[in-house]
Amino acid sequence: MDKRPREGMSRYWQTVSVLALGALLGACAAQPPAPVEDRSVAEEVRAPAAEQASGLQVYPLRNPAVTELADAAGAAENAGDLDRATILLERALRIEPRDPELLQYMAEVQLEKGVWDQAENYASRSFDVGPRVGELCQRNWRTIALARERQGRDDAARRARERLAQCQVEAPERF
Amino acid sequence: MTRKKRPARKGKRSRAPRDSSMRRVGVGLLLFVLGLGAGLLGPWVWWLDREAGLRFADRQLSQSSRVYARPLELHDGLGLASSDLVVELEAAGLRRGDARRVGHYSRDGNRFDIHLPGFRFADGDQPPERVQLDLSGDRVRLTRSNGSALVRVPPAEIGSLMPLDDRDRTVVALADFPPLLVTGVQAVEDRQFRHHHGLDPRGMLRAAWINLRHGRVSQGGSTITQQLVKNLFLTPDRSFVRKFNEAVMALSLERRFSKGEILEAYLNEVYLGQDGAHAIHGFGRASEFYFGVPVQSLDAAQIALLVGMARGASWYHPVRNPERAKARRNQVLGMFLETGLIDQVVHDRSVATGLGVSAASVRRSSRHAAFIDLVRRQLRADYRDRDLRGTGLRIFTTLSPSAQQQAERALRVGLGRVEREAGELQGAIVLAEPATGELRALVGDRHSGRAGFNRALDARRSVGSVIKPFLYLLALADPQRFTLVTPLEDEPLSVPIPGHEPWQPRNHDGTSQGTVPLMEALAMSYNQATVRLGLEIGVAPLLRLMEQLGVVPGTDPHPSVFLGAVSLTPMQVTQLYQPLAAEGYSTTLKAIGEVVDANGRSIGRYPMRLRPIRDREALSLLDFGLRHAITDGTGRSLSGMIANDPGIRGKTGTTNDRRDAWFVGYTRDWLGVVWVGRDDHAPAGIGGASSALPVWAELFAALPMRDYSPGWPEGVEWYWIDWPAPLLARESCAGAVAIPFVAGSQPTELSPCMDEGSRRRPFWRR
Repeated sequence: MDKRPREGMSRYWQTVSVLALGALLGACAAQPPAPVEDRSVAEEVRAPAAEQASGLQVYPLRNPAVTELADAAGAAENAGDLDRATILLERALRIEPRDPELLQYMAEVQLEKGVWDQAENYASRSFDVGPRVGELCQRNWRTIALARERQGRDDAARRARERLAQCQVEAPERF
Repeated sequence: MTRKKRPARKGKRSRAPRDSSMRRVGVGLLLFVLGLGAGLLGPWVWWLDREAGLRFADRQLSQSSRVYARPLELHDGLGLASSDLVVELEAAGLRRGDARRVGHYSRDGNRFDIHLPGFRFADGDQPPERVQLDLSGDRVRLTRSNGSALVRVPPAEIGSLMPLDDRDRTVVALADFPPLLVTGVQAVEDRQFRHHHGLDPRGMLRAAWINLRHGRVSQGGSTITQQLVKNLFLTPDRSFVRKFNEAVMALSLERRFSKGEILEAYLNEVYLGQDGAHAIHGFGRASEFYFGVPVQSLDAAQIALLVGMARGASWYHPVRNPERAKARRNQVLGMFLETGLIDQVVHDRSVATGLGVSAASVRRSSRHAAFIDLVRRQLRADYRDRDLRGTGLRIFTTLSPSAQQQAERALRVGLGRVEREAGELQGAIVLAEPATGELRALVGDRHSGRAGFNRALDARRSVGSVIKPFLYLLALADPQRFTLVTPLEDEPLSVPIPGHEPWQPRNHDGTSQGTVPLMEALAMSYNQATVRLGLEIGVAPLLRLMEQLGVVPGTDPHPSVFLGAVSLTPMQVTQLYQPLAAEGYSTTLKAIGEVVDANGRSIGRYPMRLRPIRDREALSLLDFGLRHAITDGTGRSLSGMIANDPGIRGKTGTTNDRRDAWFVGYTRDWLGVVWVGRDDHAPAGIGGASSALPVWAELFAALPMRDYSPGWPEGVEWYWIDWPAPLLARESCAGAVAIPFVAGSQPTELSPCMDEGSRRRPFWRR
């Protein structure tokens, strides 16, 4: 079967890929800007995501019902009733299944309960739908790292720690 | 319960007189007969006494295990049509009426005033509560509640697992019955209850006198204890022997047990009507059955109706004989007034109210047969049958009564619209919530009331093109080889099969398309391109992926699997698609959330568990392709059927000779699978887009949906492509399409359009 043409990188593409990298780095730090003309080629072929990239989604005011359930879960957690906290968070997640804060909260409750795999999975889901930067990102990867350590998956835990360090960096600009 | 000592035999022998020999013989005979009678009577009484004690103490207050739907959580912003709210409220046993009464709601256009009965949820009690809300624009806005941002409607009871004696009860402790019911029963049935020893001679004399005067048996004169004995142990015939047995056993119970125990047993045991094949026993169940509220919520009129029914549940049946039932109720209310249990105001108000029992409440049992079937199977996997029946478990399921009703309607209406001759086709629908894997509706037959062959769970049918996305997922998981724009050859091909004729797959319309991008082959469901792709991937990885997703295909590794020559049930197809619809997090589909025992203790929870599948980048590309199938592929007729498409993804499926039609589609809120076909597997001239998709659309047009905008994993980047050529382009190029790629897998070549532009004009003019 025919596949994607793969003859050696075209002259344009070499520039494009090098400069794309430059553009990315430029977003992180004050790198000298690439030559304008070529950078524009790199930018032009990039398309905006067809639908909003959730990574940078701005979350509207939270549903008060969800807040109430999360608060009740907090009270249950403080009272040491982790099962009840789990039930309340599940109810909240039924209302807002993609709320990254809720998902991370659930991950942390699972961590407290010692359900390592679920702690990791909920944190990873939270990261997927969350801002992928800043405080929540750090909590995501800290939970993942911890859960992996407890499962004895040291390499995977180290990778999570590395990813955790990147949460402080500004999110790369999305086109 | 302690049992007192057995009573001594009651044999008494008379002393014989001595006279003439003839008389002696006669008297002797008489004495013999009397002695024999007494001798037999003694053991008989002894046995009755013993039986009554044993059977009362050992009687199992077997309660059926109740199955509940998911409770509807009302909160601001919830999408909900007024008609669906009505379905939910009625299913939960509420009645339209005066919302000042518990268990009633009133409606004024989009405004609802609802007086919810209390309910013991698995995670705590919710007291009776009055809620007001507005449903303008099919969105909930709570205008008055108990200071809380959310309120749960008590879940609808959708079925029960009956105890083996087929007596349906909800056992209530004496202290939990409303005082008016407890005293009212005594006022009506047995005013001397506190004082007698099981029999009430004065009452019997009075009844006998009245019966004599009327020339027929109209008054019972039985005490509550006697009625309990009759309900518990005896047949309903009216003979002297039975009366005698009843009296002995009543005395026996009184001797052994306290008044409180006897009264509690009576209140839970008295026969109060039928629910289909099941007898309703006790006021707890009767209250739920006739009024849809727990017994604690009954008002005086309702209590009077039920107390009146104790005399003859079918004679005074509120649905079958409403006039008679009302007269009896008002007579009972009169007795309540006469004995000072209620005052004149309550009496007059109660007498003026209607019975408040709807015929709907009396037809609940056979609904939701397909879903209950699934619940039973999931329970049976975890519990023994005898632990499930008769132990009063409460089983909280995930069913949405309103979605279920919409699904049943959609299958009925949809099939009627697409079939060639009436009644030819059958179908099944599975509706789930993707993120949680919770099943919201299940239809296994186009006739929704019919229990029997459950096609949603048991119809194993060829899936056709519905399988293709999983093959494409495997391809996209290897981004160095395959992207959405990788060209595939859609040309005739011949696949050698060892020991068989070579296999020559054809496209549905018999034509071949030449070179097409991978995404187009998926969206248009081209068979020849798909088989070519499959031959590069292999059958084994596809079957392995299905197993990883929780479905054992049980098929020979023949390449026809690429085109869906594998038989699965609608439920299995739903399980396969769940992680696709849930952005890469797989979870087992479930119908049960929690099982709680009769004391309110949780004995089994089925928590929400996530399992991320690998290659979430590939999955997001596939998701994009399945969106393309709806906007520009085989599912494009959907746009004419759904007014506001919130971003539906989906895939059609049609099998050989048009025997089976499938449509699988999902949004952020719902994942729906529809199968249509004939039970005898005969060709039916049907297709995924022409037969199953309209049924799916019929359902989804009626479901509340939120806009669907999935997130993109970190490693996905977007590029302008000179569609259909695998070349990079810019937005201004004619026909350029934005396509997602796993970072680094995008094409390297630029479109000629791009090339010309950048050569001819300096950048500042572009």
